[in-house]
Amino acid sequence: MSDISSSVKLKYVKLGYQYLVNHFLTLLLIPFIATVAIELLRMGSQEIFTVLYSLHFEVLHILCSSFLIIFVSTVYFMSKPRTVYLVDYSCYKPPVTCRVPFSSFMEHSRLILKDNPKSVEFQMRILERSGLGEETCLPPAIHYLPPAPTMEAARNEAQMVIFTAMEDLFKKTGLKPKDIDILIVNCSLFSPTPSLSAMIINKYKLRSNIKSYNLSGMGCSAGLISVDVARDLLQVHPNSNAVIISTEIITPNYYKGNERAMLLPNCLFRMGGAAVLLSNRRSDRWRAKYKLCHLVRTHQGADDKAYYCVMEEEDKEGNVGINLSKDLMTIAGEALKANITTIGPLVLPASEQLLFLSSLIGRKIFNPKWKPYIPDFKQAFEHFCIHAGGRAVIDELQKSLQLSGEHVEASRMTLHRFGNTSSSSLWYELSYIEAQGRMKRNDRVWQIAFGSGFKCNSAVWKCIRTIKTPTDGPWSDCIERYPVFIPEVVKL
Amino acid sequence: MGRSQEQGEGQGPIHSIRLSTVGAARPTETGTTHEPTGLDLAMKLHYLKAAYIYSPETARDLTVRHMKESMFMLFDQIAWTTGRFSRRDSGRPYIKCNDCGTRFVEGQCNLTVEEWLSQPDRSVDEFLVYHQPIGPELAISPLIYVQLTRFKCGGLGLGLSWANIIGDSFSLFYAFNFWTKAITGETIHAPIPSKGDRGFQSPNPTVKDPVSVKRIDPVGDLWVTPNNKKMATYCFNLSVADQISPHFPANGDNSIPVFEIIAGIIWKCVAKVRAEPEPVTVTIIKKDPNDLKPNNAIRNSQVISSVQVDFPVAEATVEELVRSIGEAKDERFGIEEIGGSCDGNLDFVVYGAKLTFVDLSGEDLYGARVMGKSPHSVYFNVEGVGEEGLVVVYAAAKSEERVVTVTLPEEEMEMVKLEFKKCGMIAP
Repeated sequence: MSDISSSVKLKYVKLGYQYLVNHFLTLLLIPFIATVAIELLRMGSQEIFTVLYSLHFEVLHILCSSFLIIFVSTVYFMSKPRTVYLVDYSCYKPPVTCRVPFSSFMEHSRLILKDNPKSVEFQMRILERSGLGEETCLPPAIHYLPPAPTMEAARNEAQMVIFTAMEDLFKKTGLKPKDIDILIVNCSLFSPTPSLSAMIINKYKLRSNIKSYNLSGMGCSAGLISVDVARDLLQVHPNSNAVIISTEIITPNYYKGNERAMLLPNCLFRMGGAAVLLSNRRSDRWRAKYKLCHLVRTHQGADDKAYYCVMEEEDKEGNVGINLSKDLMTIAGEALKANITTIGPLVLPASEQLLFLSSLIGRKIFNPKWKPYIPDFKQAFEHFCIHAGGRAVIDELQKSLQLSGEHVEASRMTLHRFGNTSSSSLWYELSYIEAQGRMKRNDRVWQIAFGSGFKCNSAVWKCIRTIKTPTDGPWSDCIERYPVFIPEVVKL
Repeated sequence: MGRSQEQGEGQGPIHSIRLSTVGAARPTETGTTHEPTGLDLAMKLHYLKAAYIYSPETARDLTVRHMKESMFMLFDQIAWTTGRFSRRDSGRPYIKCNDCGTRFVEGQCNLTVEEWLSQPDRSVDEFLVYHQPIGPELAISPLIYVQLTRFKCGGLGLGLSWANIIGDSFSLFYAFNFWTKAITGETIHAPIPSKGDRGFQSPNPTVKDPVSVKRIDPVGDLWVTPNNKKMATYCFNLSVADQISPHFPANGDNSIPVFEIIAGIIWKCVAKVRAEPEPVTVTIIKKDPNDLKPNNAIRNSQVISSVQVDFPVAEATVEELVRSIGEAKDERFGIEEIGGSCDGNLDFVVYGAKLTFVDLSGEDLYGARVMGKSPHSVYFNVEGVGEEGLVVVYAAAKSEERVVTVTLPEEEMEMVKLEFKKCGMIAP
């Protein structure tokens, strides 16, 4: 009984503390305004006028003061960074003919790796614990026995994914291809010449003075890097919009060897892509869904261990694949810590920052053995989109940030339905939250992505209009089934 | 005549073979299974093969992608056929409905459809049907193979190889017709019911020891009919008016039992060649006339009946044989019992246990229209036939003709063909 009452008391103390610190200035201002108001009322209108006349305001004084005020406000508004609005976005939904059930994947694995039963066994164990469902998709070329990853097949996949997502975006936003000012495409592992951005410009006959960028090799966090590039460009170019295409083309990167650490991506990476429309136009403010509040990029590449932990290399037989080191989770945790240290002060309420600061000072000065205070990010955000890199990543982040099951539900369900779609997974997760009807006006969303290098990038969006259900998107035909229970191990 | 093909190697005139997997669009609930009946289990060593050839005008614009998409629509209806076999602890086989898929084979041919069809022995169509038996690893053996062969002129050969344990030939044609409707883009109004009653009405519940079924030594997990003799196939066309009617006395009402006559003639020819011992017992397989129309589900419901005569066949008249065939006894009940006995661990041969005649002449094979056009040619045969041989009779492109596919031991084939020539069945 006393335990419960003491924990309840503690809760109220915490709440009181939070209100006090977060609204400190307001609380300070109230007695001040009250005093002034009482004084004014007491003085009466005659006395007020007398006081004002005695100040001897001359026309020149008034004019100068007004000009000063106008000048200061103009400088303030001009130097304020332009708000970047996310008008809308669309996620690619692969056709059902690309579906890869577990049994199909394992059968192909057994037929292709028939001389390496241990590798087959390894893949089966990965798949059982992966958190993927039976509806994830691989591109048509990978359904062949053995897979047929030609350059033409890769281009076909790119066209299928990108053009479908773009056409959906055009339909949703009414955007005309000729109106696109900035185009950024990020696809880490497929980088043909001419680039994918050139492919889009060719297909939709975009303007000749378009600012196009193609980011490759930047891993799963490249989606947020593209948003960062778009944001910076939109500061320089007034009245413009930017289209971002985030995707990963699976066809050319299917590992054909039998090295276990390199077979892991085959089990997890699936087809997907997203097209996002950003704008800095005031006229788009009324129809935009979100506005970008913060974007923080942290790069751990200076550390050798972080640099080498996700490495594309050839195995002993010359097959190219992505080698994931065993320290991946540790490095991800450290990258996250670095990112949080930067984003914390920008988003956390004063109460949390004060607590964190005092715990830091305490640990440095008084006792290093004190447990470090993990700021409660649930106070800063209503929704979390954690890159669905794998079950381990989501578990690790849920633990580090002390999030509940519902906070990471979007990530887990995206992993289940679509697999690891690399840089576009954040957009599938956002789509899930919208489809569940949880996105309300003024809600803040935190998108966190990890990528090779090792990078941790995060973006903070604020919802500026409540999203009504049902939404059209990749979840429209299956959202009623979600959330599903994902067992720890699926028996194959 | 099992032609097993290696990935990439051509099978005779077909080259550039590519294998991929197609399945069902919607996921099946985990843990779903399909239990074969006793009759299904008795058929497990046999595989049905059908090849349809479409002209370039019909098929030129059909892409592989479109064909695969329409296959998905078909398998959405019969997702259980995309599963894999497994055995219970007792050894009884069952299908794990895990959406594993079926194999889709693409091939090219350097001949045009015309050149291909100019060959008189239609058994070359066997090259259009990719086939692999179930086993030795049940868990990775697809139950259905689909082959798409592109001819030089743009025509298309569609081959379907299907394990008989899933369903009989009538079910296969039903599924194929469904596929052609999906290819043509017709909305599917009548999905294939999958939970239909898989039983059958048999007027002969007392038949205990069916002779149409032969028990063989256990084959384990490789479901292949063990034959000591190599089998050969021969396929030819018959004109009812010119080659069949003369053998039978004219009836007042002008209707003659074409299948029975053909069976009788061929039975006689084989009896002449196979003197000791004469085949006095034959098996007749037909469609069940009491079967609910349309075929209610993909299943084995064909009537398997046995005919036994006590007179020498080689000297008998065709009329006498036709009459005996008419008195065939339905043995399905017995086969159902024996097939399911010992927890399905026994292995049997049905086609070729005795000289077997299959009547498919009532099936509208040329109704499998793609883009409104019927196929140019349809071929049908069974893989895994026993040593006594098999004769399949089915409709030809022209309604006054029939196609006959004969599978016999190689050593007998030439002599049987000689007998055919003697009675005018094939040209000398």
